[in-house]
Amino acid sequence: MRRIITHPIFNVEKTKTVRFFFEGRELEAFEGETIAAALVANGIDVFGMTEQSRPRGFYCAIGKCSSCLMIVDDVPNVRSCITLVKEGMKVKRQIGRGEITW
Amino acid sequence: MVKTDFLIIGGGPAGLCAAIEASKRNVKTLIVDEGVELGGQLVKQTHKFFGHEGFYASVRGFEIAKRLISELGENVTVMKQTTVTGIYEDVITAYDREKDLVIEIEPKYILISVGASERFIPFENNYLPGVYGAGAVQTLMNQFKVLPGRRVLMIGSGNIGLIVSYQLLQAGAQVAAIVEIADRVGGYQVHADKVKRLGVPILLRHTIKKAIGEEKVEGAVVVQVDENFNMIPGTEKEFAVDVICVAVGLVPSVELAHMAGVKIEYIPELGGYVPYRDSHMRTNIRNIFVAGDLAGIEEATTAMIEGRIAGLAVSQEITGQNLGFELEKMQEELIEFRSGPFSHKVRKGLERFFPQYVRDYSKNSQRDLGPATKLRPIIECYENIPCNPCQTSCPSGAITVPGNINSLPVIDYSKCTSCGICVMKCPGLAIFMVQENYQPGKDLVVIPYEFLPLPEKGETVIALDRDGEEVAQAEILKVVKSANKTHLVYMLVPAGLTQTVRGFRIPQKAHSLVCRCEEVSVEEIEKAIDEGYTDYEELRRYLRIGMGPCGGRTCRVITLGILARKTRKNIKEIGFGTFRPPSMPIKFDSIIKGEIKDEK
Amino acid sequence: MKNEYRVAIIGGGIVGCSVAYHLAKFGESDVVVFEKDYLSSGSTGRCAGGIRQQWSSPHNVILAMRSVSLFEKLSRETDIDIEYKQGGYLVLSYDDQEAVQFEKNVQMQRELGLDVQIFTPRQIKERFPYVNVHEVRLATFCQTDGHANPHLANFAYARAARKLGVDILTHTEVVAVEVLHSGFKLFTNKGAVRSQILINAAGPYSREVAKMVGMDLPTESYRHQIMVTEAVKNFFDPMAISFSGNFYMRQTKHGHFIMGQGDIDEKPGLNNNVTYKFEKEMARKMSKIFPFLSKLRIVRHWSGHYNMSPDAQPIIGESPKIEGFYYAVGFSGHGFMLAPAVGEAIAQLILLGKTIEVDISELNINRFEKGIVREKNVV
Repeated sequence: MRRIITHPIFNVEKTKTVRFFFEGRELEAFEGETIAAALVANGIDVFGMTEQSRPRGFYCAIGKCSSCLMIVDDVPNVRSCITLVKEGMKVKRQIGRGEITW
Repeated sequence: MVKTDFLIIGGGPAGLCAAIEASKRNVKTLIVDEGVELGGQLVKQTHKFFGHEGFYASVRGFEIAKRLISELGENVTVMKQTTVTGIYEDVITAYDREKDLVIEIEPKYILISVGASERFIPFENNYLPGVYGAGAVQTLMNQFKVLPGRRVLMIGSGNIGLIVSYQLLQAGAQVAAIVEIADRVGGYQVHADKVKRLGVPILLRHTIKKAIGEEKVEGAVVVQVDENFNMIPGTEKEFAVDVICVAVGLVPSVELAHMAGVKIEYIPELGGYVPYRDSHMRTNIRNIFVAGDLAGIEEATTAMIEGRIAGLAVSQEITGQNLGFELEKMQEELIEFRSGPFSHKVRKGLERFFPQYVRDYSKNSQRDLGPATKLRPIIECYENIPCNPCQTSCPSGAITVPGNINSLPVIDYSKCTSCGICVMKCPGLAIFMVQENYQPGKDLVVIPYEFLPLPEKGETVIALDRDGEEVAQAEILKVVKSANKTHLVYMLVPAGLTQTVRGFRIPQKAHSLVCRCEEVSVEEIEKAIDEGYTDYEELRRYLRIGMGPCGGRTCRVITLGILARKTRKNIKEIGFGTFRPPSMPIKFDSIIKGEIKDEK
Repeated sequence: MKNEYRVAIIGGGIVGCSVAYHLAKFGESDVVVFEKDYLSSGSTGRCAGGIRQQWSSPHNVILAMRSVSLFEKLSRETDIDIEYKQGGYLVLSYDDQEAVQFEKNVQMQRELGLDVQIFTPRQIKERFPYVNVHEVRLATFCQTDGHANPHLANFAYARAARKLGVDILTHTEVVAVEVLHSGFKLFTNKGAVRSQILINAAGPYSREVAKMVGMDLPTESYRHQIMVTEAVKNFFDPMAISFSGNFYMRQTKHGHFIMGQGDIDEKPGLNNNVTYKFEKEMARKMSKIFPFLSKLRIVRHWSGHYNMSPDAQPIIGESPKIEGFYYAVGFSGHGFMLAPAVGEAIAQLILLGKTIEVDISELNINRFEKGIVREKNVV
């Protein structure tokens, strides 16, 4: 488990849990956390693949580096590190450039 | 269209301080911030800040953020999760991620205080998931309470690398090593000492060669470098880590300033490309100001002062009040904070914009170690950091930081009451207390401690020296809990070690595994037996011994032995449980194939 | 062991321990539990740990709903993590008639306040992409159903009861019972004990225990086999089950898949052996429904017993013939999931003369005089 349960300095406050989907898998997250944080907490480090088939994770956590782009509710290129996870959200790995569905 | 008098782009320490000054003077202010919460990097800082009381010295970063936010007045509007996307000729635009729409803003004055972004370095496989910027690790760990992994290799020994290493340890991760390409530690010695005495090695003149792993980081290769920073073949070392944290510095985010027409100059001492500004933080564009890391990579305290200066300067223009006195006071603060040796580079860089001054400070450190019979502080603060909580917190006036805030503290032992407050307050955790011959053959050492679990009175711990090496066994005399979470641990060490012992470790019970499949140790089995699980089958069900793929081959007999010993029974009297088929794991497929073959 | 207790319970499975715990919690700790082997050695320790509220008869739904609300609190209440997870029960139907019945059941379950959904095969696929929906008619799903670790839940009740002063004696077998004018005298392999009240919570041995007081309980024990695979990362949240498809499966907290089925050829009796036929049937059936299983390995296979009653519903209450003799037996494969509510109800019945949260009068043994209406939702 990667969630910090106790900490010597700060209090770990429990917030409401929400359920979201990653590649069809139902996962648990806490309200107010980013998709990236929720995925890492669930042990998921690989967020997608680059155009040249390299696995991608996230790097900067502040929406700058583009390493964390994912398909969220069918929308590609979402910066998962600054987008908050929502109940029922569907998150998918993005392989290469995102596709637009219509 | 949103109209405001003062638009602050970025609500970190600089932006918040500017807003507070403007808010005090009734200036209609709008803060636009990208984050989920205001405070910028402050919200991720769990360490106590240096400086003086006026700038929240000895307060932890996330607490400072809370205090600053609470000082914002009603005339300050905040837009969170919103990014300023362009400063155009006609208007300024911002994108609200929550509402998914673009807002137009028309301000009279603008402060750009957007901070900096993480510097990256090339090494083989550096794209692998598990390679993180130090800021990302802090965000994940201290804001969202999630650890990026279990074992981390830190690249860079600047203050950020050192602080994040310490924070990782506090959060329960391991730090395999800190790698530093230079021949000395980049950050403050007190920060380095904090991680060293926890046993984290700092590898000087080393760099990362490559990340190992297919899908994500599984390890790292570190290599030594020569004087010209070239890798020396044959000196490679491999580390099994699942996170590589890159803390090699920051780059000012000048995009918006440049869009707005601010003159950008390349000043390596300030972190690279930085905007032009005068001593009031005004750029070459009349109504645009800058402050904080964007104006030059420095500490949060100077960012707060710059923010206050910008806020005052803008307020003065808008309200017509004369704020010359307040501005001068803040500029004096900046001069004092930048007088120390660590600010040498920044001063040199800033001279390109306006003249820099320094205030003299004392380099004399405390030499006298005080009377051996008294419980007294030992201050191990040898670098001229702008910081004085030891002086201001001392209730008896025993500690002085003479003259300038950059001076080294000295102590008058005759005035000291052995209260320990300075030990709790010191942001660098560089003050300890000692008393020789507290008991016959035992000396007393008091350690500032910020980890869980806290040791208990009477517990035996392992005393560590400044490098985290074990030196002796120590006994916990008492633990004084502090509201600021820097607790004091009083421990008895063998005589003669008061100048050696600077930390301790609660001994990890040596774990001898009984069941490899489910990782069950002798200690866990003994504990369960003590709890009343005195039957092999109960133990098995409770601890999952023997439920793994080996079918109990390795653990059954050992468990029965432990059970016999603990319950003082003959092993023959204890039921040995049941053996269940299959005796080796069998695939569903193999069964189906066999059956199909049979049918034929 | 004292010479005399107010209440004696035979059976250290979850039912016996839950009754003991609830008695002590409500103030009566003059209680002893006799377990002839070790705690959870009977049906509890052999079951899959499913906790379901989707039943075909209303009183079972109500009883199960009460159990769920008690399971939700159990880890906190006893300070033992029972690995409780409300991952839902996905009940798959492969039979048209059954599907029609399911729709009626769901209506009844919803009226009782249970949030149950009906999924088409396509909806199943969307939500649980790892299920092969071939030939599936429909499924019902209740999110608050779930599962827990039966051993730990059993131990949780036992430990909490002990803390409150209950004596739980393992390897102590009751071999004979004398019905006294008032109360009972129990003869065990460790000596004799008197009690005012005697509770039969002996699971598969319920009929033998009843015989000791001269009563014939209409329960019979049937062997059920069950197996577990090696562990893989967790992804499978629900308990998947089918009455028409004859299987159940869940993934444990530790990553193993645990699964089983019923066998109509099974004869009543106490048989703890296992058959390869079971593994073959399971391998074929389960890897068809859950194709990801085909590369997984079985690591262990064992058997336990369903203590069946004539209508596949538990027999709970006080004996109409022998005063002070209570039973909580005949759970027909569902003792684990009902144990919290049943333990609470029996304790209330003994201490207050009536139950508070749920009405268990329909589960009294008298019901068989009126004829038998079988519970259909049983694997």
